[in-house]
Amino acid sequence: MVAVNIQSVWKYYGKTVAVKDLNLLCRENSFLAILGPSGCGKSSTLRMLAGLEHISAGDIFFGEQRVNMLPPKDRDIAMVFENYALYPHKTVFENMANPLRLRGVDKAEIDRRVKAAAAMLQIDALLDRKPMQLSGGQKQRTAIGRAIVREPKVFLFDEPIAHLDAKLRAHMRGELKHLQRRLETTTIYVTHDQLEAMSMADNIAVMHEGVLQQFGTPSEIYNHPANEWVAGFVGEPPMNFLNCRLELTSEGVVAVHPACRIRLNDAQRRILEEKQAEPDVKLGIRPDNIAYRAGANSGLDIPATVFVTENLGGDMIVEVTLGDDRLTIKTKIGPIANLDDPCTIAFDVSRIHLFSTTTGVAYF
Amino acid sequence: MTDQTMAAGRGPSADSGGVKRIDYAPTALNPKPSRRYYIWMMAPSIILLAGISIYPFIWLIYMSLHTVGEVNQPDVWNDFKNFTRFATDGKFHNGWLLLLQYSAMCMALEVGIGVLLAVILNRSKLEKVLVTLILMPMMMAPIITGLVWLFLYNGAFGWYHWLLQSIGILGPTSVLGDSDIAMFGIVAVDVWQWTPLITLITLAGLKRVPQDQLEANMVDGAGPFRNFVSIALPNIYPFLLIAVLLRFMDNFRFIDAILVLTGGGPADATNILPVYLFDVSFQYFKLGRGAAIALTLLLVTIVLGMVLVKLFEDPRRKIKHTGFD
Ligand SMILES: Nc1ncnc2c1ncn2[C@@H]1O[C@H](COP(=O)(O)OP(=O)(O)O)[C@@H](O)[C@H]1O
Ligand SMILES: [Mg+2]
Repeated sequence: MVAVNIQSVWKYYGKTVAVKDLNLLCRENSFLAILGPSGCGKSSTLRMLAGLEHISAGDIFFGEQRVNMLPPKDRDIAMVFENYALYPHKTVFENMANPLRLRGVDKAEIDRRVKAAAAMLQIDALLDRKPMQLSGGQKQRTAIGRAIVREPKVFLFDEPIAHLDAKLRAHMRGELKHLQRRLETTTIYVTHDQLEAMSMADNIAVMHEGVLQQFGTPSEIYNHPANEWVAGFVGEPPMNFLNCRLELTSEGVVAVHPACRIRLNDAQRRILEEKQAEPDVKLGIRPDNIAYRAGANSGLDIPATVFVTENLGGDMIVEVTLGDDRLTIKTKIGPIANLDDPCTIAFDVSRIHLFSTTTGVAYF
Repeated sequence: MTDQTMAAGRGPSADSGGVKRIDYAPTALNPKPSRRYYIWMMAPSIILLAGISIYPFIWLIYMSLHTVGEVNQPDVWNDFKNFTRFATDGKFHNGWLLLLQYSAMCMALEVGIGVLLAVILNRSKLEKVLVTLILMPMMMAPIITGLVWLFLYNGAFGWYHWLLQSIGILGPTSVLGDSDIAMFGIVAVDVWQWTPLITLITLAGLKRVPQDQLEANMVDGAGPFRNFVSIALPNIYPFLLIAVLLRFMDNFRFIDAILVLTGGGPADATNILPVYLFDVSFQYFKLGRGAAIALTLLLVTIVLGMVLVKLFEDPRRKIKHTGFD
């Protein structure tokens, strides 16, 4: 149980840069998720932590110890691979026992620990099977079992549940989080699925093209995205963006869009003044923060037209056309509307985000 | 998702409300290609095989049971004398002993060096160039190889002869002239020529070792050696088996280089069975006796080959998990 400290780490593959100047701290016993689209350098980061990949520049510390030059076997880590990487010619028992055998643990102890881990993961009935005879979920549990038999300093997960079906994935999210809490082991979890990151992690590091975009708790990432990219990446359905121009009028600061005017509140105005915002901004708002009513003159501020509605059962996704832009709105289920039906919408102004058009950095 | 599956299950008449019931079985199954079709497809190769392999083989059996006459003389049935005389044929026994020694030494050295070379090459940046270079001995006709080594071993001007003598390993006689050393001399030639084959095949196997398993094992706590033994070796096992089988069968029949180098001498020190067989058949022209020796050699090759396959066949299946209880 140590803190993991990544300091100014770079990773080059020949000329391609996979990780750029990464600084991250995973506190002792906490759960850190590294979130980003595929190819952003998540696996490279994790593999450097595991010692499977050379660190091109920078340092990695486990607690006080610099581990740059330490081979994987001496790092006291356990890793779960994306494709499980089970040994096909060994049984589930032998797969799970492997880390213990390699460390010379005596047989009775191996037997005890493997069986305990198997019971915890509910695969105790499968111990004699070969990986080929297992389902995806069972393989994945075996891979996790191999990681937890040993009480390592750090757990490393590389998209361990990405290949499971949706239902099992949802189930495993809960299980993994529970497991981490129970074992209290420093955990670094790589995923491209924001739901996994949001639901399991204490802290999330969002990466894009090798660069750390934001580090924070799930609610910080969701409610206060640091820039336009994070705002667009986190949240499902994704945040809406409108190009607006800020104007100072008698009613206060107004974000002007060709099809609507949105008056910002005083707190927002103060921040904009403080940060000396440029007049051209990108306005972001999440689908849940827009109100929707069907029909012309149905009472909300901004008239718009329906593009399509999607029934989700309890909720409904409505896409509306506003000027030349399209907005996604998530609302309670209502009557299905057709293309070009009129409607009215309203923005929850306090939940609006503004981003600089030039740098993408969030004003608020 | 569930909606769709339900709908699909209901079939076209969705208003019936229940799952569509299948109350019929297909009346006719799709026909398989007839047996005759397969026979016709195989006929050309069977005929070819009969011509080049089966016919001579039957002749071999026939000869082994007769005293084969010289030109214009009839073959005479000899009541298995070709076989019964094995019991008292000292050269035959000696031939077997030497053959087993020779082939065991070749195999051990070739597999050892070959695998080691493959492991080194597999990590190397110069892999392509080095593989091409290493393969060169294999491309040479064994006769030529024999001649080259004959020069290298030559007592008057041979470079190896000089080298071995200067470091004090070799006495006054030449490598091939000393009955204690000659066997090592011919083993060296075979190793030189055929280790590349093992390297090549092992290299092909190493390419297929799953990287993720190697990495998982490293994280589990294995060093490079343990990693090789427990992950790479099981994966290259089938490849190694093929290589060993090929070499073992070749050793039982390739005598070109030995004929050039020693011809079985000195004092029968390298007179391995195939060489003896050659002498009996084509020096003394006892074709019946030769055929009998050839048959036993063939039989042993087949049996040993099968034993080898059994022995090497997925060794992992034998390791039974007991759970330690
Ligand atoms: N072994 C490698 N050789 C060359 N480029 C690589 C290698 N591994 C990864 N990359 C590149 O580095 C970048 C980051 O890869 P990776 O860390 O695997 O991303 P992620 O896990 O986030 O999908 C990608 O552009 C990928 O093409
Ligand atoms: Mg990856």
